[in-house]
Amino acid sequence: MKLPTWGSLALLSLLPSACLAQSQHTSNWAVLVSTSRFWFNYRHLANVLSMYRTVKRLGIPDSQIILMLSDDVACNPRNTFPGTVYNNADRAIDLYGDNIEVDYRGYEVTVENFIRLLTDRVPPDTPRSKRLLTDDRSNIFIYMTGHGGNEFLKFQDAEEISAFDIADAFQQMFEKKRYNEMLFMIDTCQANTMYSKFYSPNILATGSSELDQSSYSHHADNDVGVAVIDRYTYFNLEYLETHVQNASSKHTLADLFNSYDPVKIASTPGIRTDLFRRDLSEVLITDFLGNVQNVEVDGDGMILDEDLLALARSAGYNVSDCKDVGLAMKRFGKKGAVVSEEAEKERDATAGEEKTWEGPARVHKDRQDDFWRNVMSAGAVGVCFVGYWVFSMIDKV
Amino acid sequence: MALRVPVNLRKNLSVVLYAFQGLSILAVIVGIASLFLLPLDEYSRRTYISENALLPGQVHAYFGGSEQNIVRAFRREVDSLGNSTSDVVAERMAEIFRSAGLKVGKQRYSYKAAGGEYSGENVYAVLHAPRGDATEAIVLCAPWRNIDHLLNEGGVALTLALSRYFKRWSLWSKDIIFLISSDARAGPQAWVDAYHDLHGGDIQSLSVKSGAIQGVVVVDYPGAYHRFESLHVIYDGINGQLPNLDLINTAVQISRDQMGLRSELQEMWGHDDGYRHRLRTMLRGMVNQALGHSTGPHSSFIPYHIDAITLATHGDGGWHDEGSLGRTVESVFRSLNNLLEHFHQSFFFYLLMAPKRFVSIGTYLPAAMLLAVGLTLTAIRLWVDPRSRSGGEKKGEKKEEGVVVDGGPKRELFLPMSIVIGVHFCGAIPFAVFNSVDYKSMSSTFNIFVAASLVLPAIISILMTTTIPAHRLLPAFHLSRCFSLLFLGMFLSTLATLNFSLSFLIGLFSLPLMFARTTPDSIPLGLVNSILLLVTSPFAAVFAVAGYWGLGVEDILKEASFGWWVWGMWTPVVVWCVWWPAWVVGLISVDSGLVMGVLGRK
Repeated sequence: MKLPTWGSLALLSLLPSACLAQSQHTSNWAVLVSTSRFWFNYRHLANVLSMYRTVKRLGIPDSQIILMLSDDVACNPRNTFPGTVYNNADRAIDLYGDNIEVDYRGYEVTVENFIRLLTDRVPPDTPRSKRLLTDDRSNIFIYMTGHGGNEFLKFQDAEEISAFDIADAFQQMFEKKRYNEMLFMIDTCQANTMYSKFYSPNILATGSSELDQSSYSHHADNDVGVAVIDRYTYFNLEYLETHVQNASSKHTLADLFNSYDPVKIASTPGIRTDLFRRDLSEVLITDFLGNVQNVEVDGDGMILDEDLLALARSAGYNVSDCKDVGLAMKRFGKKGAVVSEEAEKERDATAGEEKTWEGPARVHKDRQDDFWRNVMSAGAVGVCFVGYWVFSMIDKV
Repeated sequence: MALRVPVNLRKNLSVVLYAFQGLSILAVIVGIASLFLLPLDEYSRRTYISENALLPGQVHAYFGGSEQNIVRAFRREVDSLGNSTSDVVAERMAEIFRSAGLKVGKQRYSYKAAGGEYSGENVYAVLHAPRGDATEAIVLCAPWRNIDHLLNEGGVALTLALSRYFKRWSLWSKDIIFLISSDARAGPQAWVDAYHDLHGGDIQSLSVKSGAIQGVVVVDYPGAYHRFESLHVIYDGINGQLPNLDLINTAVQISRDQMGLRSELQEMWGHDDGYRHRLRTMLRGMVNQALGHSTGPHSSFIPYHIDAITLATHGDGGWHDEGSLGRTVESVFRSLNNLLEHFHQSFFFYLLMAPKRFVSIGTYLPAAMLLAVGLTLTAIRLWVDPRSRSGGEKKGEKKEEGVVVDGGPKRELFLPMSIVIGVHFCGAIPFAVFNSVDYKSMSSTFNIFVAASLVLPAIISILMTTTIPAHRLLPAFHLSRCFSLLFLGMFLSTLATLNFSLSFLIGLFSLPLMFARTTPDSIPLGLVNSILLLVTSPFAAVFAVAGYWGLGVEDILKEASFGWWVWGMWTPVVVWCVWWPAWVVGLISVDSGLVMGVLGRK
């Protein structure tokens, strides 16, 4: 094979990224859920309202935000400042007062309604504001907060949603092609267990604390009389407010996750990336929290494409379709390095949504413990049988 | 299949008898010892707030500053009314509440007990929560005269000032009721009975009401203006019922951690959290619980499952004043305001040893239960004992093997049953007598009754000894003791779950009944038994209580009568209808032994 000329290399490098990167989204949605009732869970509603204001600030419109508030703390009789919700003791920003659109309120925030919302199995008369009208090019940011535990989250002090339920709902969304990529963020006790059961592709998950760890509140307001924000959300907001000033910010999720300090957060936040195909340092924060879409250019782009294909063929590469050109570019694009066969196959496998998914990635490596656990259970049952036999023998003696 | 054990129990019952005797003594010893282990660190726990909603001490309290001038002005008002009659006082208090913009109600009441009349007029005002739904209420109470009959100047003045102060806040989720009761004992009882429509004839109904009461705080700050040192938290209720521990923990945590005000329990000033102080606090709490009397206005609310405490000031010349107390009350009320349901998360049965140290029922119940178990085991032993059988053989040793189970002399049940049941019914006599006698004749009535209690069992025992043949006499006393101890054991174990201290103390006093038996062979032993019984009799207990409180016997009996008529106190019922009959049966057995020994009958 002849080495390509530097010119063709340069031309190849101009290939529109539409062929290579399969992460283009054309809409941004956010689903923000708080699941707790009662006055002393003020901070959970403040958490959700803080994320609501953040995504609005970065451009997502109310029509693409589903805000689920399980209780009305702003109008709770115990609120010293009626009609307001604050997330900081300085009471500088009222999160509730102006320009707010709550879609599911009070007792409408239930497990059933949440799953129906995600999977779009809603009654036909559901208003548009209560539906998640996403398609296969929508990026969704899902934020949940409340009281949780090992693989469950408590809704309204009355019921629970389990990690399996959410994982299955996400798989339904994948099969119905309802999302392009998803960022799942959860701030509860033992939060990381909630995303351990996901098995659908293109989901990035992050949680506030590991198994057997609690998540803590950050500080209390001594006039409102309750804690007003949780630590994990507080430090997320701190990063977002200081670094992501507007929708044109180029900060990536890797930057955000690197800013997490388990000492300050007082619990170990976790990130799950195995289902997500892009490298975190290439994922902009505004891909999920902002409303920035990529533009697909018709016409000139396509011509350039075909010209380059012809060029590549004339250079001697055996190109049959866009994918191979992409591979070829990758092979020589990075400073002429030759890439190995295995890496090629891997990229092959991850490229394109037409490929079928191989199966759920194993996140927890505790399957060896399972083996010994099974041995011990079998042993216990065996001891019971032996004991029964022994005692029945006694009678005959 | 025959059970191959070394001893054939049918042949040799004495093994069983000794085993039971040993077990019952062991149970009693372990029970009493376990009570003394409770103050140790290993068996007691630090208090903690169980209800997440309370959030005590997390909110700033702003009472103070110019509000203190208002409190002082109201102090002058209260002082000027110090000698007025209750209707003048009530009218003036009602005027003050009306000027604060609250709805006012007044209530007259009158109780008759122990030949005396207890009457007065309560005044109360209802602050409707502006954003609440009026289904629940919390009460701030100040008695006009506190439980020591001192004028509660500071308490009433603070309540009046707080009523104006609370009216200015709009963050109440429950209605607040400000109650100024005429006194600390009968007034609150009349009010809470009428609030729940359970009042008797001579008590006026309430004209203004609110929702279900969730919590009550009583303020007791008597005397002319002085600065106080510490806060005395009083929590004992009627019949030994206690408020939810969370309410006490909230008050203690707020006063100590937020206000820097030391809190104390059971009049233990200067508690050093050592073993002896903890034990004394616990025992004082037990005495209050056993007597089941009202220790403050809060006690009347507790039988209605309303959690209530009294905050009384203590000490002269400290540096806390009505501002501190006002802020403490305000912070407690903000915590009560956060509640969504009745207190239910924390303990209802506990013993407090220090403001931050307690044991719950799971740890202290064995003490009283083991005493009751000891009595029951003794009763079982008495039943199994061959001496309970009347018949030809004296000792009942069975010499032949293979005796059919129900062969041989049977137990005669009629006589012992009738003794026990008859004596228990007689227990109604002292109960009725002491509840209807005048205060002036209490002392003499009591003396007559003591004499009768000593003489009548002697007469009964003489009658029985002379009329019943000897071979039926011993078994009769044996079985009557058996039934009496069985009943006492069962009753005490049930009572232990309701009023642990009463059960424990009665069990303690009844221990001689386990040993006091009919001993016709040995007169000295009989004398020792009867002295032991006298020393641990109900009368001795009454004298002991009188001595403990420094009052006369007639005062104790007057309190008991007042308690029955006004508060529905059950302690006199237990003492006269359960304990005294058991003691009488024991005395009859012992006296019979003495009589038989004297008359030479065996």
